[in-house]
Amino acid sequence: MFRRLILLLFLISNLSAHPVIFKNGKVFWLTQNPTYNDLRFGISKTSNWYIGFRLLEDRKEEKTFALMNNNILAKRWNNENSQANLYLLSSVGLNTKSSKVMSTVGVHGDWENRRFMVMEMLEYYSYNDSLVSNTRLAFSPFTVDYSKISTWLIAHYRVSYEDKNASEMFIPVLRIFKRNYLFEFGSNGKDSFVTFMIHY
Amino acid sequence: MKNLLSLVLLLSLVFSQSKVTIDNEEIDMNQNEAIVEVLGMVCSMCAFGIEEGFSKEEFVDKSKFSNGVLVDIDAKFVQLGLKKSSSVNPEAIYNVIQDAGYEVKKLYILKENQLTKYNVGKLNILEKELKENTPENIL
Repeated sequence: MFRRLILLLFLISNLSAHPVIFKNGKVFWLTQNPTYNDLRFGISKTSNWYIGFRLLEDRKEEKTFALMNNNILAKRWNNENSQANLYLLSSVGLNTKSSKVMSTVGVHGDWENRRFMVMEMLEYYSYNDSLVSNTRLAFSPFTVDYSKISTWLIAHYRVSYEDKNASEMFIPVLRIFKRNYLFEFGSNGKDSFVTFMIHY
Repeated sequence: MKNLLSLVLLLSLVFSQSKVTIDNEEIDMNQNEAIVEVLGMVCSMCAFGIEEGFSKEEFVDKSKFSNGVLVDIDAKFVQLGLKKSSSVNPEAIYNVIQDAGYEVKKLYILKENQLTKYNVGKLNILEKELKENTPENIL
């Protein structure tokens, strides 16, 4: 259960927005659910490379992980009315008490326009030898001007392959954002989370 | 005399403005302004990086628009106020868009009654397509 919740946090926090932003753009990122606090801070050194620090705390188990994120925008397709991206993701860090190393590698692809978004992310986790597939389909019921609040309805589907077993999960997510502020809330009646993010 | 002054004022206003067509929409453009058509700018967070980049540039007139920048996500363009005193290097505008992770489709600069249009060529460099400096080409 613990491992699954950790995986859930990884995938949710990685899926909130683009893993790499504008040159010298900084990201502050906070996710909280009944069990965890997840804090991130990082900078896109270029428009293709993000590096940042992450502190993940399990309040119930009293475990904390200190991680370093390193994301690369491998390719972006800027089109007339849409955008598509291919990212390479990695993170490495330690359990602050046991000093056990944990690392992940992944690939993330997405396509979006003003109304729709499709995303797929595959990530491998070394500490439990698992592979996680995450799929998001999103729809914006109305398009708004830059200065107004944008709303997205997201269907999030996840499959985790671990010890020859596959577990799946579906979460509906509401995303709202305005300029550089983003807020997400998701719940399936069993699992829920809140995310706040700012770019500056 | 009053009529003559009014006419001069009207003409000066008319000749200091121009229009460019973006996404089938005519956009008013005043003296010391630039308009950049951007490929891939489809969300607010995308546009924020562009706005941030321009707001740090010396050549941008912060007294115009919002901190010197107006973003239109629907028509996918950014309008900039330019300082009268500074010369504008189109490459600098191009670099801000690239640093935000996006691409310039077209760039228009209206300065000293000259509307200059740039396209991005095959080698991904800005190419000056035409230079209009005759009054009849400035609406």
